[in-house]
Amino acid sequence: MSIPFDITFDENTFRHHVHGVAMVMHCHHYMSRTTKLAESMEKINGVKILRETAEDAMRELLEAYFTAQKVNTTGDRLNVGRELYSVMGLGKMEVFGNDHGGEVTLQRSHVDEGWVQIFGNSTNFVNHFTCGYLAAMFASAFGKPPRSFNVYETASMAMGAPEGKIIVKAI
Amino acid sequence: MTVMRDKVVKALVELNVRGDENGLMPGYNVLVNFLPTAFWNLFAERLILAAKPEDKKEVRDGLYRCAQECGYHTGYGIINSDEFNAVVMPMVTEGAKDILRGAFAVFTAWGWAKSGVVQIREGEKMVIRAQDYYEQDTHLKGEKMAFMVMAGSGAFFDLAYGAPYPKGLGTFIGEEIKGIELGDEFGEFIVNRT
Repeated sequence: MSIPFDITFDENTFRHHVHGVAMVMHCHHYMSRTTKLAESMEKINGVKILRETAEDAMRELLEAYFTAQKVNTTGDRLNVGRELYSVMGLGKMEVFGNDHGGEVTLQRSHVDEGWVQIFGNSTNFVNHFTCGYLAAMFASAFGKPPRSFNVYETASMAMGAPEGKIIVKAI
Repeated sequence: MTVMRDKVVKALVELNVRGDENGLMPGYNVLVNFLPTAFWNLFAERLILAAKPEDKKEVRDGLYRCAQECGYHTGYGIINSDEFNAVVMPMVTEGAKDILRGAFAVFTAWGWAKSGVVQIREGEKMVIRAQDYYEQDTHLKGEKMAFMVMAGSGAFFDLAYGAPYPKGLGTFIGEEIKGIELGDEFGEFIVNRT
C-alpha cells in the first residue's frame, strides 16, 4: 500500500505543511541527541516529557491526516498510521492490536539505527519517540483521549536485537 | 555567480521527501526524518518549563548542544552530499563564504528557517537574519527559543573556519540577538569565536 502524502511548500515563509500541519526535516543526529538529552534530564522526567510530546504532536498530524483523507475505521487508522510512520522516515513496523492494546514489531527504526550509528549499542531502551507515536496512533484509532495507552519496549535494535518489540496496553 | 538561496531552495524542495521501502529516508549523508515542528518546539518548551529556576541553564545548554552537534555533523554531511554537489556546488565561486551560503540555503529548504547570511568577517564573525523560523512558534514569554538557528549557525561557522572536521566543533558560538518569538520583526543571530 502506498498512501498519498502531499507536502505543500509556502513560497512566502518557505515552510512545509501536510494537511495544515507545519513540518520540518531533521535527521538522526538531532533525534538521537534529543533522546539522549531527555534521558539525562531524569530529575525533571525528561523521558516522560519526550514520550508525551511525541504523543501530542503526532496525534495532531494523525488526526489531520485521517480527517483529510477520510480514514475512519480503526483498522484503516492503524494501517495508515503504520504507513505514515514509514513515509516520514521513521522506520518500518508491523502492528497487531485492538482497543485493549497490541504488539508492534519494528523491522527498521530511524531512532534505533540512528542511535547506534552515533553512540554504538545502548544498554537501555531508547525508542521513546516511537512509544509516544504508538500511544497517539492507538488512541486516535480507537477514539480515546491522550494517555489512554501505556507503551513500552521489550526488545530493541539499539540494544542489539534483530528487531524491536513494543507492547501497547490500554490503561 | 554566487549561491542564490531561493534557487537552491526551489531545487531541493522538489527532491522526494518520503521514506523508502525500509521506511527510512537516507539523504545528505544522514538519515532524514520529516516531523511536525510542534514536536521539536513542544519538547523544548516543556523541558524548560519543567526545570526549576536553578536548573534552567542546564536545560537550555542541553538544548543548545543538541542543535549545535546536530548542525555540525549534519552540516558536514550536507556539504559533502551528492545533493549539495549537484545543486549548490555549480554556484560556488567564493570558496568558504559560498559554501556557507549554500549550507544556509539547505537549512532553509529543510524548513528550519527562511534565513540568509547578511555579514561575514571570514574566520571571525557572521550575522544571520531569519524572516521566519519554526522555533518562533514557541510560547514561552521572554525566552530565546531559536536553538536550531543560533547553534546551527555557530556549527556551520565551525565547519567553515574551525579545525578540520571533526575537531572544530565549538570553536564558535551563535547567539540570538533578536527573535520573532520575543516580539521582534525578524530573527538576528551573531556568531563569534568562543
